[in-house]
Amino acid sequence: MNTTARILITVLLITVATLTTRATLANTPTIRLFPTTVVEDLRQTGNVARDMETGLQEVIGRLDQQQELYHESKCDGAEDDSGCQRLARQIGASYLEMLTIMDERLPDMEHTVNNTRLSLEKSLRNELGRKMTPWTLQETLIGSDANKTVSKSSPTLRGRSGMRLSERFNQYYQLVATSGAKGDQSLAVLASDIYLDMEETSLLIQRTRQEIARATLMEQLNQSFGIITPEMIEVVGGVKSILFGDEEGQALVAGPPPGSVEQAYRSPLEQ
Amino acid sequence: MNSNAIRKPLLVVAGLIATAFFIASCASTAPSCAAPQSKNLSSAISTTQSSLLEGCHAHFDRYYDDLMTIAEGDPKPENKREFSQFLVWSADKGLLSNRQAEDYYNRFFNVKFMSLKGDYNNCSHTCPNKQKVLFDMERELSEKERGLLKVSLDNDGYYRADQLYQEVELVLEATCTACSASR
Repeated sequence: MNTTARILITVLLITVATLTTRATLANTPTIRLFPTTVVEDLRQTGNVARDMETGLQEVIGRLDQQQELYHESKCDGAEDDSGCQRLARQIGASYLEMLTIMDERLPDMEHTVNNTRLSLEKSLRNELGRKMTPWTLQETLIGSDANKTVSKSSPTLRGRSGMRLSERFNQYYQLVATSGAKGDQSLAVLASDIYLDMEETSLLIQRTRQEIARATLMEQLNQSFGIITPEMIEVVGGVKSILFGDEEGQALVAGPPPGSVEQAYRSPLEQ
Repeated sequence: MNSNAIRKPLLVVAGLIATAFFIASCASTAPSCAAPQSKNLSSAISTTQSSLLEGCHAHFDRYYDDLMTIAEGDPKPENKREFSQFLVWSADKGLLSNRQAEDYYNRFFNVKFMSLKGDYNNCSHTCPNKQKVLFDMERELSEKERGLLKVSLDNDGYYRADQLYQEVELVLEATCTACSASR
C-alpha cells in the first residue's frame, strides 16, 4: 500500500512537472520574422550578386593591370605622350565596359534587394513593432534566462564591409535557412541586421544607377582626349570594395572584462 | 505679604515659559542624518536602517549611494544579497513602495533594463521616443556597471547587459525604420 502510494505520488509529480513545462513553452511568444518568401528572396539576391561579380571580375582585373602599366610607364604627368594617351584610352574603354555591365545587372539586383527589404520590413513592423512592447522585446532578445553566459555563436552585429556581396547574402541565407534551431532572440537581431543592410544597399544601388548614366557620358567625352580622371579611379575602387570586400572593415568584438564570475544569487526583487 | 502675592504669579509665568522653551527645543531637534561611517557594508546598512527609522527617510537616495560607495570598496558577489535584503526591509517598513524597491534593485543588479518598461507597442510608443529611451538605457547601463561590475563582481552579467543594450539599439533602429515606412 505504502509503495503504491509512493509510486502514485511520483507519477503525479512527473505529470505536473511535464504539464508545467509544456505550459511555460506554450506561453513563450513565437515570432515569425523569416517567412519562406524572405528566405527565397535572400537566396535570389545572393545569386544575382554572384552573377554580377562574375561579370565584373574580369573587367576589373583588366583595369587593375592597365592602371599598373600606366603607373609603371611613368605616364603620370606625361599625358601628352602618345603611348600614354593610348593606354589612357584603353583604361577608359575598360571603365566604360564596367559601367555597362553594372547598368545591365543592377536593375535585377535592385529588384531582389527591394523584395527582401520589403518582406523584412513587413515582418519587423508586425512582429516586433506592433505585437511587442519594449519590455517583451527585451525579453525576446534576452531569451529565457537573463543570466546565461553570452553565446559565442551569437549573430555578429553590423559591419560586414570586408566581405564579398554574394558571400554576404549567402551567409544571410545560410543563417536564416538554418535558423530553426536558434532562439527568437538571435532571429530578431539577425532580421534587423539584414533589413538595415538591405536599406543601405538599396539606397546605394539607386544612387549608383543615377551616377552610371552621368559617368558614362563623361567617359565617352574623355575618350577623345585620352584622360584618366581621379573620379574614374575612385569609382573603380568603390565598386571593388562593395563587390569584393576590403580588409579594413572587419569589426572587432570586445571581450568581457576580466575577473571572477559568480551570479547564483537571485533576489526576490528581480524582474 | 504683598510682595509674595506678586512673586507667585511671576514664578508661574516663568515656569510656563521655561516649559514652553523646553518643549519647543525638543520638537525642533532634527536627526543629523549623517552618512554611515563604517567601511563594512553590513554595519553601514545597520546604521543606515537606524537613521532611516529615526526620520531620515527623505535622504534615502543619498544613503543608497553611500552604501554603494562603501560596497565598491569591498566588492564581492554577496553584496547583491545585502542590497536586496536592505531594499526588501525598506519596502516592509514602508520607506519605499514595492515598485520603488524593485526599481532600485533591478537598475543596479539585474541584466534587464527598467528603462524599457512600457505597456504600449513599439511602433506607437517606443519609436517616437527612441532617443530618450536609448539615453535612459545608457544611463542605466552605467548604473549596472556600478552594481554588477564594481559592487558584485558579476562581469558576465554586466557584459550581457552591455550586449543587450547594443542589440536593443540595433533592433529598435530597424523596427522603427519599418514602422515609419508604413506611414
